[in-house]
Amino acid sequence: MASKPLWTYEAHTLHDLFCEGAVSAEEIVTSHLARIRAVDASVGAFLYVDEAGAVAEARRQDQWSAAERRERPLSGVPVAVKDNIVTQGMPTTAGSKILGEFVSPYDATVVVKLKQAGAVIIGKTNLDEFAMGSSTEHSALAETRNPWDLSRVPGGSSGGSAAAVAAQLVPLALGSDTGGSIRQPSSYCGIVGMKPTYGRVSRYGLIAFASSLDQIGPMARSIRDARLLYHVIQGADRHDSTALSSAGDRTVSGGPWRIGVPREYFGEGMDAGVRRLTEAALERLRGMGHALVEISLPHTSYAIATYYLIAPAEASSNLSRFDGVRYGMRAEGRDLLTMYEKTRDEGFGAEVKRRILLGTHALSAGYYDAYYLTAQKVRTLIRQDFDKAFQEVDFIVTPTTPDVAFRRGERDDDPIKMYLGDVYTVTANLAGIPGLSMPAGVADGLPVGLQWLAPGLADTALFDAAATLEPQMEPMVWPMGVEA
Amino acid sequence: MSQYQVIIGLEVHVELKTATKLFCGCSAAFGGDPNTHTCPVCLGMPGVLPVINQEAIRLAVRSALALNCTVRAVSKFDRKQYFYPDLPKAYQISQYDQPLGEYGWVTIRGADDAAKKIGVRRVHVEEDAGKLNHLGQRLGDATGSLVDLNRAGVPLIEIVSEPDLRSAEEARLYLTELRAVLSYLDVSDLRMEEGSMRCDANVSLRPEGFAGSLEDLPRVEIKNVNSIRNVQRGIEYEVIRQTELLAAGERIVKETRGFDDATGKTYSQRSKEEANDYRYFPEPDLPPLVLDPQWIADMKRGLPALPDAIRADLVGRGIPEKDAEVLVLDREAYEYWREATALFQDERLVTNWMLSDLSRLINARGESFANSGVRPEGLVELLGLIQAGTLSGRMAKEVLEAMFESGQTASQVVKDKGLSQITDAGAIQSIVDQVLHDNPAVVQDFLSGKEKALAFMVGQVMKQTRGQAKPDLVNQLLRDSIQKNYAASQD
Amino acid sequence: MELSDREILHVARLARLRLTADELQPLRQDLNRVLDYVSQLQRLDLDGVEPTLHAANDQAPLREDVEAASLSVAEATKNGPKVAQHMFLVPRIMEGGSDGE
Ligand SMILES: [Zn+2]
Repeated sequence: MASKPLWTYEAHTLHDLFCEGAVSAEEIVTSHLARIRAVDASVGAFLYVDEAGAVAEARRQDQWSAAERRERPLSGVPVAVKDNIVTQGMPTTAGSKILGEFVSPYDATVVVKLKQAGAVIIGKTNLDEFAMGSSTEHSALAETRNPWDLSRVPGGSSGGSAAAVAAQLVPLALGSDTGGSIRQPSSYCGIVGMKPTYGRVSRYGLIAFASSLDQIGPMARSIRDARLLYHVIQGADRHDSTALSSAGDRTVSGGPWRIGVPREYFGEGMDAGVRRLTEAALERLRGMGHALVEISLPHTSYAIATYYLIAPAEASSNLSRFDGVRYGMRAEGRDLLTMYEKTRDEGFGAEVKRRILLGTHALSAGYYDAYYLTAQKVRTLIRQDFDKAFQEVDFIVTPTTPDVAFRRGERDDDPIKMYLGDVYTVTANLAGIPGLSMPAGVADGLPVGLQWLAPGLADTALFDAAATLEPQMEPMVWPMGVEA
Repeated sequence: MSQYQVIIGLEVHVELKTATKLFCGCSAAFGGDPNTHTCPVCLGMPGVLPVINQEAIRLAVRSALALNCTVRAVSKFDRKQYFYPDLPKAYQISQYDQPLGEYGWVTIRGADDAAKKIGVRRVHVEEDAGKLNHLGQRLGDATGSLVDLNRAGVPLIEIVSEPDLRSAEEARLYLTELRAVLSYLDVSDLRMEEGSMRCDANVSLRPEGFAGSLEDLPRVEIKNVNSIRNVQRGIEYEVIRQTELLAAGERIVKETRGFDDATGKTYSQRSKEEANDYRYFPEPDLPPLVLDPQWIADMKRGLPALPDAIRADLVGRGIPEKDAEVLVLDREAYEYWREATALFQDERLVTNWMLSDLSRLINARGESFANSGVRPEGLVELLGLIQAGTLSGRMAKEVLEAMFESGQTASQVVKDKGLSQITDAGAIQSIVDQVLHDNPAVVQDFLSGKEKALAFMVGQVMKQTRGQAKPDLVNQLLRDSIQKNYAASQD
Repeated sequence: MELSDREILHVARLARLRLTADELQPLRQDLNRVLDYVSQLQRLDLDGVEPTLHAANDQAPLREDVEAASLSVAEATKNGPKVAQHMFLVPRIMEGGSDGE
């Protein structure tokens, strides 16, 4: 048996060891559970850990033949699920008080697919309430810290998943990305996170934040693992009318590629370490024989304003169902209206209320055209920027975020500043194209992310491209000293 | 008082007859124990998404085409947002600015028989809400309400008329005709009492000489009236109420009103000024609904015969207009008629019997033409016996009643009761002779030109044959015998 | 297009959020800052630009009208905060809105 603890292994290795019979699923799972027990008190990645369920599933899988193990690509592999994805038999909270004791009567499609692929679902990870935030500080239920520096945020909203993977509590996790919520925490935590093309992964069972922007995606410590998880969860779904069939994958030549470097993504306000490591990565790509092409995405500066109209508008509608009638918490009131208002007042946190109010206003009589419709038109311009760019280049490479993980509490009181941190990531959601963040290195002890963008439906090509760069980079040394 | 013109527009909701709901696979059947036809989707659970039922779209397109609408090849769904416990997501998935069908019409005919086209502004698809059961007498003093979501998500079409209706009577005619058209399409049960067809009426008064848009008139919406008759009553009341208010110099308030069946009055429910901001926006969970124009054209070609065409056909066949109207408005009756006339040539005889004696018996027994114990074949057999002279009209009525009672065929009844008509002249001749012999004075009256006298003698013969003699045969025999035996002696 | 307290309270009512007095002030400030920020979109010339109303599929898939399993009534109501006679119980509904509390 290996000398390193099992929790340090990547998913594909664990799966291979399990298939070969070198280790049991129970050993894999208990190793990760032990790691969680040792570390998660200080990291706070998980909202719920299903120890009994995970061990039972592992024991069940240990009865499988080698062939049965092989035919399930994630057999023996522990996976964490962001807690805005519903799971039967485990609570789902979306990081909010308003869901109360809610236990879903159905599994999200991605969860069904994980189970079919033999994944062992370990538990549910923390997030900003209803995925609204970039630091996981807006969770109403728990605090999550960045494993690289516990005084800093892990990013968000998939901060729990990112921290869990970086702290090696699990090799794989699911996140969701509406404006950067997979890529930004991946960048802050030094892992790989990918937002697929809109429609590539079923949203059925993802508690909707902004329906036209949300995508579930993989988070892992290597591109190979992220791709493995992506292939398990992607594909059409008869429960999701916006999910695309796997047919029609867009391919990209094997290279050398023309790599677009958008000048709007290298402006002011970028952290010096981020700039240095991004430029170093671009140099490596040039060194590999690819052509770096400066391009322009002229409507980039409008992306945040566009996003902060569309996302709250859709969210205000999606969150109306939390009304204290059929599930979740209820604050009693002596008539219906009072019950509604008290429930939603007590159940939602400040950031969620802010966005519900903004979105309700943007859709209300007399304002729809000026706000929502205008934003959807600008969205068209942003999509066209990318359409045009991808006629010239195969991929676009940018920093994932302008900065590194910030200190907890630092951006509590300034929504605009918080929103501006999403400037490099929201465009992919608005355009519906795939984006991937991979580690570009570590600056002053904090990881920096490099973002790859590809044309819509070129998801596989995006993994392939990023995977060629991965061996050229300094290997990540995962933060170990997070034990309390 | 007459300086106002009545302006009425109707919004009719019709539940479509699908097996499953509009966006999930739950049963759309009426009834069921509370919340037994529910799933995460129609409960509005977190994370659920809608998937469109193609049969609902087919039925909606069929309806729109039958109402002469143009059907969009591309339409879209929108969210209509408001909080209410019977609306699980707090938004209804509906269609806002790109409805499935537009620019249609329904033709109505008033007492003056002049045809009038009533515009159908739009036909769109949407999901129904659930049902609230109030704990207490009325909503106002209920201590709480219980939510049953079995109906939540059942597919509906909303049919919105132009404000072309000018009286409560026109509204009644419109609804009657609309229901008749839909009844031929197999799209809905159309039961107003079960809520599978519901009507809201918008009523306003236009002052003479008012040149502005109708939209600017203060409009009162009478909500959810449960029968065509009550829509008419509600409008009648509302027209009087508004007229009196205006005569008294008061203003009409834009509001929603209910209709009280017992008093025949409308009552204020809520003023619409404040709360009514539905914040429609395109449903991001549903891509556009795209229909193949060829398929739409095929659907149009495949429509069944509709009331207008059926009316024309019936009248062309010599059926009186009044009778044709009765048949057309009751699809079951019309289908009964079609089956019967396929087996029997004399269509007027079929019509007469169906709309008089058969109707009476069916109604008395609480049956309908579709489930009546006497099927078209049975009626046709009976009519055949009349035509062959085996039964008189009066006997036939008796036989028909017996057929309802016993479930027997006409010939079985005739045989059991020994009812068949005497058509043998020899069997009647002796009775004729006897009657002539017993009534010399009457014979003389007849001979002196009083035709009525003959009718008396026919009656006497019929009486003695217990009605079984064939009347025109009796008539003939009497004339012949008088001619032969009495007229001669007068010379 | 600054929002007044009255307008914010109106929007809050539409969204069924009851804002306390101490919530109102900071929220108004935040919302107005965001609205001020997004007003930059008004600078763009958007004549002839189609809005992006749908993000992925250009055509909705249609489902066959075949019944699928519903939940049992126990599963359907198990998350209900208040359930009576297998139905969700809500407080009385005041037609005009609320009589306050
Ligand atoms: Zn359902």
